[in-house]
Amino acid sequence: MTRDELEQALADLPFRLLRRLGRAIAGPPALRMGKRRLMHTIMAGAEANIERIEAAIRTHQAEQQALAAVPAPAGGASSEHKSGKPADQRALLEGIGVPEPRPFVPDDWQVEAVEALERGDVIVSVPTGSGKTYVAVEATRRAMHEDRTVVYTSPLKALSNTKYTEFCKIFGPEFVGIITGDRRDNPTAPILIMTTEILRNLLYDAAGGEIDVRLDTLGLVIIDESQFLGDPERGVVWEETIIFCPSQARLLLLSASIGNPQELAAWLTSIRPAPCHLVRHQHRSVPLRAGYLHPNGKLTPLFRTVTMPPSPSQAVLHPEAKRLFTMFEEDTLYARRSG
Amino acid sequence: MPPSIHPVHLVTVLRQKSLTPAIVFLTSRRSCDEALQAFEHATDPLSPARQESITAVLDELTATYPSLQDHPLRKMVTACGVAAHHAGHLPSWKIAIEELMRRGCLDAVFATTTLAAGVDFPARTVVLTQSGVRRDQDFTDLTIAEVAQISGRAGRRGKDSVGFAIVTPSPYMDLGVLIRGLTGRPEPVDSQFIIAYPMVLNLLKAHPLDHIQSILAKSFAQYQMNAQAAHLEHRIEKLHAKLESYQPRECSDWLTQWSAYGHATRQTAMKLQARRHHPPEVRARLPYLTPGRVVAFPRFRGIVLRRYRSRGQRHEMMTVLRKGGVVAESPVADIMGVIDRTFDFAPASAFPWATPEALSWLTQQLEDLPKHLSFLTVPPAPDEEEGEVVKSLGDLFPCPTCPCRPTCAKEFKAANTVKQEWLHHTRTVQSLRTGLWHKFQERAEILQDLGYLNPAFKLTADGEWARLIRIDFSLLITELIRAQAFKDVAPPTLAGLMACIAYENDRPGSFPRITAALASLVAATRRMADALAPYDDPPLLRADVGGLAERWVSETTVTWAQLCRSTSMAEGDIYRLLSRTLEYLSQVHSLQATHPDLATVAAEALSRIRRGVLEELP
Repeated sequence: MTRDELEQALADLPFRLLRRLGRAIAGPPALRMGKRRLMHTIMAGAEANIERIEAAIRTHQAEQQALAAVPAPAGGASSEHKSGKPADQRALLEGIGVPEPRPFVPDDWQVEAVEALERGDVIVSVPTGSGKTYVAVEATRRAMHEDRTVVYTSPLKALSNTKYTEFCKIFGPEFVGIITGDRRDNPTAPILIMTTEILRNLLYDAAGGEIDVRLDTLGLVIIDESQFLGDPERGVVWEETIIFCPSQARLLLLSASIGNPQELAAWLTSIRPAPCHLVRHQHRSVPLRAGYLHPNGKLTPLFRTVTMPPSPSQAVLHPEAKRLFTMFEEDTLYARRSG
Repeated sequence: MPPSIHPVHLVTVLRQKSLTPAIVFLTSRRSCDEALQAFEHATDPLSPARQESITAVLDELTATYPSLQDHPLRKMVTACGVAAHHAGHLPSWKIAIEELMRRGCLDAVFATTTLAAGVDFPARTVVLTQSGVRRDQDFTDLTIAEVAQISGRAGRRGKDSVGFAIVTPSPYMDLGVLIRGLTGRPEPVDSQFIIAYPMVLNLLKAHPLDHIQSILAKSFAQYQMNAQAAHLEHRIEKLHAKLESYQPRECSDWLTQWSAYGHATRQTAMKLQARRHHPPEVRARLPYLTPGRVVAFPRFRGIVLRRYRSRGQRHEMMTVLRKGGVVAESPVADIMGVIDRTFDFAPASAFPWATPEALSWLTQQLEDLPKHLSFLTVPPAPDEEEGEVVKSLGDLFPCPTCPCRPTCAKEFKAANTVKQEWLHHTRTVQSLRTGLWHKFQERAEILQDLGYLNPAFKLTADGEWARLIRIDFSLLITELIRAQAFKDVAPPTLAGLMACIAYENDRPGSFPRITAALASLVAATRRMADALAPYDDPPLLRADVGGLAERWVSETTVTWAQLCRSTSMAEGDIYRLLSRTLEYLSQVHSLQATHPDLATVAAEALSRIRRGVLEELP
């Protein structure tokens, strides 16, 4: 092996092997070297250690051959995201469009949530836009049948208004009322939409002896966007509402996906008369795909697979997206440096 | 920003790939507005059919919300099919944009990341352009929950078979944050329970003090703290077992004993070190080195003129008169011996420490001394200090003679670490278990001092009405009412003050001038807030924003457009300021029973605020 050949072979070695070689030749300081300095060090000590270097190169070549001989695993569930051919760029946009109209059939979890409400409180923690409203409407309908008052709370006045319009359409305006900081429409209706703060104040008044008639017949409290419990400023209001909620009323907590729904459920079980049922899933009703759009207008999949990777550790960028993003970063870095 | 994709180009690409309708999330209101402005020069307007459908929807909504009629952005939205949606807009405009999106009339909406939760409309595609969000002056990464909230808007049920989250790069974007956000598990929700004054008053109204602890125990905060405490208790048990595993010693609490002993030894060692500069034979001579004493150096003799120790110097020094009248400084340790001869001389208070006559006389005497002189036999200095220390330590501690001493010395370090950890955890557990209750008691005692609660922790007359004020800064407002600050206040001034208290944003801007009455009321409020600072965080209390509310209430002929022209504040912010003022005023209005005059003023202010845009919206 000539010196040039040796250098070429070294450049092909993976960094970890180079580092091992460098350590054998130059000792621990080699662990702090970059690739170029490592190669330089190894080449400087090449005469004395030629056997060791050649052995490392042979091992590496053998490994490469072994890898090439074994066919790539045929898309196992977990390895799919890491190996295999990257997704075709056209596959990202495949199947785009309007789905066939289908008669509405409630999902299993929606039915489960409504039924569980007969037995106790329910927490629903599902991705945004997967149909929490259906559960709320269905539960309201059942409570109406039993002549019980329903309170629906949301964090924002704007959301309350949207829900008010929606519920008016479903149940008829005479059955729905709204109370916000400065609006009172039909406040004796069996279905009341309000912000969470207002419900908290009503509960305070009830506890203070000024009994509010509606609270006697209160059968169901729906708290939308319950992940606001963790809001630094307003979270305390959600907590108070849940603590002071009358025990005869059922609680239905609707929340986006959160990290610890079991903990919330366990808490509710510990303070409420009936055990709390948790309904959760990560499944989106409309599947999501991630794309990368380069400023030049080129669109590629963001991840190696068209479907979303199940966890950050399995998220591998699509080679094309990675190349374009690296290019973008280099361009902007240069632009920033040159002012 | 030039390196990232141009908004017009972005929308063109999205249209080509049939990825519309899309929501493009940008960092700031300004970037949303700028993106929209870029379409002013766009060449391809929408087809007439689509323009008509947008106009139809807008006309339909104008019936409910008259302010849409002359909205400046109306033409633009109709022509290009794109819109901006952020907190600077009026709610009616936002409702219109949301409705247009729901009906699929728009191709793209530029929205701020900050309000991702408030954006309650779906689209086929969401476009992520940034990985950060501005929070209280800071720029922080988006949380996983926020990215999930954003990507959750992609894909309309029944209208799309697939939803898309498109990442497009911009400078300073961290792709890792977005990847984690798109694929990761959302953060856990943690309790943010705080004990506020209205909570204390309302709880004590309904329950006696003895029941409060059990009510607080029902909070999620306590539940989470209990879980944490249980975890720590498990650890404490383990640590305890580890401590038990050390062999029993002579004394019951060997760790304390040994650490006290170690401390005492170190202390005395330091003391000894400070004193012990001289070998014993030198120290023994010290009492004899008085002025006038003759001393012997290795090669000459001298007479001590004075002995001293200058500051910072560890060695005893002396000034010596040598042969020929030389006066020199030399360390005490240099002398060979003390000679049994002294001279009395007249000292002086400065160098050379003797009068000139005495000095020449002494020089003469030194010359005249006989050649052979005997050294003084100096009795050895007693080694008393060291002996004393050992004796006293031995008195105080059994350790020096204890048979366990070597084991203690060996095991102390490891065992002490365990014990310190154990102590730390024990204290933490205690504060976790009782922290909320202590906080409640603290707040209740403050309210007691201020006169809202009687000594039995029942509500006083003041407490009865004060509990109805359930907003931020409730303590400040109730104290102002009690201090008669609102006596003879006019409705505009009251509204102005409430706006000042309610507004918590420090975005600068220009505003209408405030009146002298409001200025003095704000000054009084600031004094009160400063006085209450130990009990409650004071509000930002910006005087300038009060001018808007004041003008809106005092001049009932002012239209919304005129009000907007008088300030640099965005429409949406003015709306929010006034609706917060409404909220605060309606709290004051609830005090009809006890403060009829004030409630009437508040009612007047309320009815005057509710006009124009503020009336059309719920």
